Amino acid sequence: MAASFASRCSSVGRSLMDGLRSNLSNLPSTSREMTCGSFLYQQQRTFIQMRTVLKVVDNSGAKKVMCIQPLKGKKGARLGDTIIASVKEAMPNGKVKKGKVVYGVVVRAAMQRGRCDGSEVKFDDNAVVLVDKQGQPIGTRVFGPVPHELRQKKHVKILTLAEHIA
Amino acid sequence: MWATLRSRYLHLSATSLSSSSLTNGSWKLGFSGLNQTFSSSTAQRISNELLSLQEVEKVLSDVRADDVSVVPVGNQCDCADFMVIATGRSPWHVKNIAQALIYKVKQKQKGAKRMVLPSVQGQETGKWIVIDSGRVIVHALDEKARAYYNLENIWTSKTAQKEPVEDLTKAFVKVRRINNSKKPAQGSD
Repeated sequence: MAASFASRCSSVGRSLMDGLRSNLSNLPSTSREMTCGSFLYQQQRTFIQMRTVLKVVDNSGAKKVMCIQPLKGKKGARLGDTIIASVKEAMPNGKVKKGKVVYGVVVRAAMQRGRCDGSEVKFDDNAVVLVDKQGQPIGTRVFGPVPHELRQKKHVKILTLAEHIA
Repeated sequence: MWATLRSRYLHLSATSLSSSSLTNGSWKLGFSGLNQTFSSSTAQRISNELLSLQEVEKVLSDVRADDVSVVPVGNQCDCADFMVIATGRSPWHVKNIAQALIYKVKQKQKGAKRMVLPSVQGQETGKWIVIDSGRVIVHALDEKARAYYNLENIWTSKTAQKEPVEDLTKAFVKVRRINNSKKPAQGSD
């Protein structure tokens, strides 16, 4: 499994990059972009800070939350950190309603996070799982892949509820 | 046998701790980096040192935990081999189950120079306590939490979820609409 993260991109990111490169090789007129180099196509992703809108990937009822405070870190929250967020969009009958202030654990972040073996992992979106103040998840299932980093950050509960561990 | 294993573990930990700073959680990740220096046979023995399945079952039966279920997840997830789910009758009982397991680990490592304790999450509330000891993860819940989260449903049906491909064959079958009106169907004229 470590081999799959040996390169800098995640598996989704790698397929996107291949698609971009193949598109460019088909168009001979865009020679200017080809000479610039592939590193310019990768955006510089940064931390999750105030006003960042994140997707909610559990079945607690919320759909989108906006971060109002990262709990640790001066620059912002990263993969595996907890944030305080406000629910911006919610399903009509769910456990949380729009406008509620909740805690959340970031399970997918567009910013890369280094692993101890030197590889980096990054995802395509920013996703969060809602928890209460004691760290108990509000929902009962977590959708999409979640990384291993949650284990070291003491979020094993979210890992057990996850459907796929990246 | 345990004494020789513990002495070997102590010897290895004494050599490894100097090179890397190990905390509770990073013990597992840091160990993967040390794999190339030590043989894989000792790797299994060290991961079993913290808590093994038989010891967990014995402690849970001593503490009189209800409804202990063991789920082997070794083929689904490479982070753990077994998941043990136990129910406590009250929040105090759930905390007691966690305390008993930690006490067992401390007893096993008595006299060691440095104790490696399993990580415990959820200790303040007695609703759901997770004890992560490497290959075996123990969940202690109360009845309400167990019914709410339904953990067995996820982990026993994870292997069953690999076969929704069979439903795809049924997805392409055309189903005729039920004609409740008095007019006949279009193509029958």
